[in-house]
Amino acid sequence: MTSQKGITLEARGLRRTYQRGTEEIHALDGVSLKIQEADFISFTGPSGSGKTTLVNLLGCLDNPTAGELDLDSRRIFGGGKIVSERKLTRIRREVFGYIFQNFYLIPTLTVRENVTLPLAFYRKPGTDGEAEKLLSMLGLEHRMNHLPGEISGGEMQRASIARALINRPKILLADEPTGSLDTKRTMEIGEVLRHLNRSAGLTIVMVTHNANLAKLAGRVIEMRDGRAHEG
Amino acid sequence: MKEQAVAISGAPGKGFFQALFLLFLMAVPAWAATGCDLNSPDRDVPRLFPESTRYRSNYVSLRADQLRSVVARLGESFRVLYDPLNVPYTIYEIYNGSEKVGYIHGVNQKGQFGGIQVFVALDLAGRIKSFYIQKMSGQWAGKFRDTEFGRRFLGISLKDFDSFDPVSGKGSGRLAKIRNPAPEMETDFYGVLRALKKNLILMDELVYSTKRQNP
Amino acid sequence: MISPFQIAYKNLLRDRVRTLLTLGGIMLASWVLVSLLGFNRGYERALDHDIDNMGYQLMVMAKGCPYEAATLMLQGGTGLRYIERSMVDSISREPEVEQATPILMQAYFDPNKGESGGIAGYFGVEAATFPAMKLFYRFRKGGWFQNENAAEVVMGFEAAELEQREVGDMTLVPEKNVQLKVVGILERTGTQDDGTIFVPLKTLQNISETDKITTIGIRVKKGADVAGLEGRLYQLPNVQVVSFSQVKQTIMTLVSTTRVMVFSIAVIALLIAMAGVANTVLMSVVERLQEIGVLKTMGAMPSDIFLLVWTETLILCTGGGIAGVGLAFAFARGADALARRVLPYAPKGGLVEIDLKLALLTIGVVGVVGLLSGAYPAWKAGRVRPLETIRSAV
Repeated sequence: MTSQKGITLEARGLRRTYQRGTEEIHALDGVSLKIQEADFISFTGPSGSGKTTLVNLLGCLDNPTAGELDLDSRRIFGGGKIVSERKLTRIRREVFGYIFQNFYLIPTLTVRENVTLPLAFYRKPGTDGEAEKLLSMLGLEHRMNHLPGEISGGEMQRASIARALINRPKILLADEPTGSLDTKRTMEIGEVLRHLNRSAGLTIVMVTHNANLAKLAGRVIEMRDGRAHEG
Repeated sequence: MKEQAVAISGAPGKGFFQALFLLFLMAVPAWAATGCDLNSPDRDVPRLFPESTRYRSNYVSLRADQLRSVVARLGESFRVLYDPLNVPYTIYEIYNGSEKVGYIHGVNQKGQFGGIQVFVALDLAGRIKSFYIQKMSGQWAGKFRDTEFGRRFLGISLKDFDSFDPVSGKGSGRLAKIRNPAPEMETDFYGVLRALKKNLILMDELVYSTKRQNP
Repeated sequence: MISPFQIAYKNLLRDRVRTLLTLGGIMLASWVLVSLLGFNRGYERALDHDIDNMGYQLMVMAKGCPYEAATLMLQGGTGLRYIERSMVDSISREPEVEQATPILMQAYFDPNKGESGGIAGYFGVEAATFPAMKLFYRFRKGGWFQNENAAEVVMGFEAAELEQREVGDMTLVPEKNVQLKVVGILERTGTQDDGTIFVPLKTLQNISETDKITTIGIRVKKGADVAGLEGRLYQLPNVQVVSFSQVKQTIMTLVSTTRVMVFSIAVIALLIAMAGVANTVLMSVVERLQEIGVLKTMGAMPSDIFLLVWTETLILCTGGGIAGVGLAFAFARGADALARRVLPYAPKGGLVEIDLKLALLTIGVVGVVGLLSGAYPAWKAGRVRPLETIRSAV
């Protein structure tokens, strides 16, 4: 697997406000940062600090209330315009891969079928044979024909990593990727991510509560009350 | 007159008679057993078997070995006029509550002017409890359908035919003592007796011998 | 690489019981629908066949109730009164008439038929004119009467079967105790003539002590103005004219109420089954909202998700439809028998006619209705926003 070179993601003054009844919640309060190619960034912070909200905006899963986001000098969010879900989907499938705490593997599909699932909807040129390479790289070649219910949590998360990488994304977003795993498997996944970042130059943006996992990243940004603090 | 067919195809076809005065017979559909069926089992069964509370219609076919046995026991050809030999026969199983108490079975016999349909109600030992000629043609056919004539057959079983030959009309025992009620229809009288023998042999092959083998 | 069809199919395997129950509902609705459509077609065809095999297109008989005339004629019944034999000659002179044949139907009570007696019916026909009306008759044995006064009968197949008669045997006319010799036995025709006993007209008239007839069968020339002829025949005194297109109309009207009712039931069954499909698919979408959200993060557009869910609906409906059609083929005979029990008149021949074209039509209808019912769940799935559905511990 190889990532596309030269991508930068630049956020300026990103804000996100939610309405909860009569109360206005400022989940993000003007966050600015820059992410470069091959960065491995970990966002930490307590619950409600805005880290997931930020990562959702960076990953084009949501529209900000205010602020700008450029992807490789191309304006994605800005000027108060709402970007449609359809357009966001097009951007997402070109640029991002996602992994989540709950894996979200389809229980009736085998590991191999789950990994190749994104190709049913969108397929970049040159991805033939990518599934076998990824499964082998992630140590899942002997689990290819198993169902998710037949493999361990760590193997399920590795399968979801393979799925996220099948279309050779530029950036991997990982939202609490080890939240459902024990310590041993947490470190395994952490090592996988670090290996992907160092050997393949994959840009990784991770949200985690786990301090040990966060340390594996090159940059750690702490979120507090909707603001980013890079240490 | 030589013995003729034993056709077990008594069921009339649809649209069979043209009734002048509104009544016409609704025939049994062709896919039902083409053996001899009661015209109205719901009405006929209680009449022939007074202690019955319900009945079940079974459709049974003769195997090749059974057919050979029937022919040998009849002592005459089992020629079928209109149907293949393995047509299903209708046997009515008679119950009192959940207990089986007997059977009713009918056969077709060629008569002088038309088909003769002879039914017997049998107990579990194969003895006649009722004797009924459902159909017969002839000017004096009524004498054979009279209850008095039918009563002469009560208690008769297949064993009684060991000492009486209905083809020649010779022999001894109860059957030999039964007088022809209509001398003008001598042929049909012996036809009735041959039909009875055929009926009892068929029941023996299809029901009673099976019971003896599997008690 | 997995295809969207495989994804849809495998999704249905998640809850097999639910899928099977939904399939079962569609299967039953399809079974009813195709059986009914098969009945609609088969009944009319069988009726046409029966009517065609009458041999003549018009019948003239003494005035009576048209329904009785229609149904009794087709069941082998008769008019209630007699008409003059001479009427045959006057009708034969009509320019549209190719052939007219006189028929006398008589019935006698036979006390030795069944427990309390039964009717024995006879058809008196002219050897010179009647056989020409029934050119499709084939004889199993023997042939027609030698002359118009012969003491002979020709028997339909089932009549001969019931009486165990062969050519050369004797029959007896009850009440009159007249013996007649069997000279011919017909092959099965698949019509009511199978149960008919034909006697030379003059012979039956002598037995019945009448010189009258009950019916005149009329075959019209090809291309003749049948309506015009009917109109003139109606002017004849004390007769009614039964046209077999009228008979068919009458019977189809009698049957149509049943058909409409059963058709309504089939439509309702289909709608209920489709509501089941919509519910099943909707439930499955709601259960998979997070998964659908994740599919969208993988690059699935709203239309991809819509098609995915719609494909699940299509698989259910097509599968259920095919199973239902299969059941209909397997149980066509049973459906035929049921129809015969229920209907006031059932022509001979298959009443339920299901062929490949009808089967495909039914599957098509079920598929289209199913797609309509699956449209809402598919649309709802397509509109899912990933962020609203994906939860993570923060």
